[in-house]
Amino acid sequence: SSASQQAPELQSKVVPSKQILHSDSMEMEPETMETKSVTEYFSKLHMGSAIYSCTTKRRSK
Amino acid sequence: HVRYRMEASCLELALEGERLCKAGDCRAGVSFFEAAVQVGTEDLKTLSAIYSQLGNAYFYLHEYAKALEYHHHDLTLARTIGDQLGEAKASGNLGNTLKVLGNFEEAIVCCQRHLDISRDLGDKVGEARALYNLGNVYHSKGKSVACAGTHDPGEFPDDVKTALRKAADYYQENLTIVTELGDRAAQGRAYGNLGNTHYLLGNFRSAVTAHEQRLLIAKEFGDRAAERRAYSNLGNAYIFLGEFETAAEYYKKTLQLARQLKDRAVEAQACYSLGNTYTLLQDYEKAIDYHLKHLAIAEELNDRIGEGRACWSLGNACTALGNHDQAMHYAEKHLDISREVGDKTGELTAKLNLSDLQMVLGLSFSTNNSMMTENQIPDYNLNGTKQRLGRRHSMEKLELMKLTPEKVQDWN
Repeated sequence: SSASQQAPELQSKVVPSKQILHSDSMEMEPETMETKSVTEYFSKLHMGSAIYSCTTKRRSK
Repeated sequence: HVRYRMEASCLELALEGERLCKAGDCRAGVSFFEAAVQVGTEDLKTLSAIYSQLGNAYFYLHEYAKALEYHHHDLTLARTIGDQLGEAKASGNLGNTLKVLGNFEEAIVCCQRHLDISRDLGDKVGEARALYNLGNVYHSKGKSVACAGTHDPGEFPDDVKTALRKAADYYQENLTIVTELGDRAAQGRAYGNLGNTHYLLGNFRSAVTAHEQRLLIAKEFGDRAAERRAYSNLGNAYIFLGEFETAAEYYKKTLQLARQLKDRAVEAQACYSLGNTYTLLQDYEKAIDYHLKHLAIAEELNDRIGEGRACWSLGNACTALGNHDQAMHYAEKHLDISREVGDKTGELTAKLNLSDLQMVLGLSFSTNNSMMTENQIPDYNLNGTKQRLGRRHSMEKLELMKLTPEKVQDWN
């Protein structure tokens, strides 16, 4: 009877199918970073300096 | 004149850096931004924008120490010139960087500062973004403790649950605002991370609801990467709901998209998930089929950890089918790989499997063949093993967990 008791125990060790490897690769959404831009600022600055250079050129004439 | 030339040169370099980063070449962009900093400028607003973009570029390049440095410079500068919006943005970026570095308490302070300033300025967009970032910090904080242990989702200690509940609250607050603003892309992100938070809290039905919303929005945008993420997360949730057939369907959709997107690592991951799901469904032929596919890609990517896991899974499935010779082959391979990568738990498990198989096959074995007694085996759960060698990026996040027979019975 001890052999019959051992059999299912052995079975559960040899067949650890219920102790499965579960792949828990949780897929997160991307982070959101705050952005600053030189382009935007520069376009304003550039406009200013263009106007400035135009007026100085006129003045020098 | 020299001053003017310098300013122009700094701006030109920064503009080129900006253009390169926008085009996706952060590495080249960084060089131009660094050069711009070298030339220098008296315009502090320009300098702040350069620091900020350098910080973001380094963040995307996963060089977080550098990212931290530049976002910190940006924060100091924004405060010096009294630029409130600039300070809010720098705080948010610093918070995100600190989160990745695992400094959650400081990250919370920075993200809270981003939130407070945005509210003071009546900046709803900024407020929503700060709430999303705060949710992310609390999620990471909870997960970092949770993953160090050996718990299943929903079975974490109280401090982990507290952090995860806070994350869920912040995502929910974010959702209210971005829904008002009609920002669908932001809703998609919030639903995805909210779903994952519910999953960790063990609220699998709520996780499914959130991921279904994420899926809907991903389809609206034709965003196939987000669609694939949603399928994979839905599969994971259905596993814990005990609905293995549904999980298998979602994992198959993940696999299909991974193949379309030509992402081999993700394809391997999907095969592995399918192998495990079919094992739970006790369809061992299909399980073997998927585990073999996983093994092939793991070999191709030279992912030894992945190969080891594939061998273990294959050994188990072969044993279940009574194919002990094949099981023996995989158990031996599992042992070799576990030794190679220094996975002690894997090594013990493989030895146990081998000795059991030898008994089944009626082979004699000597005592120096490392016959393990039962109390020497710590656990089949390999959650605690921290193996890095040869592990590919997709496998980095791979957790092993034990589904006890009682649990499987509960589900059915």
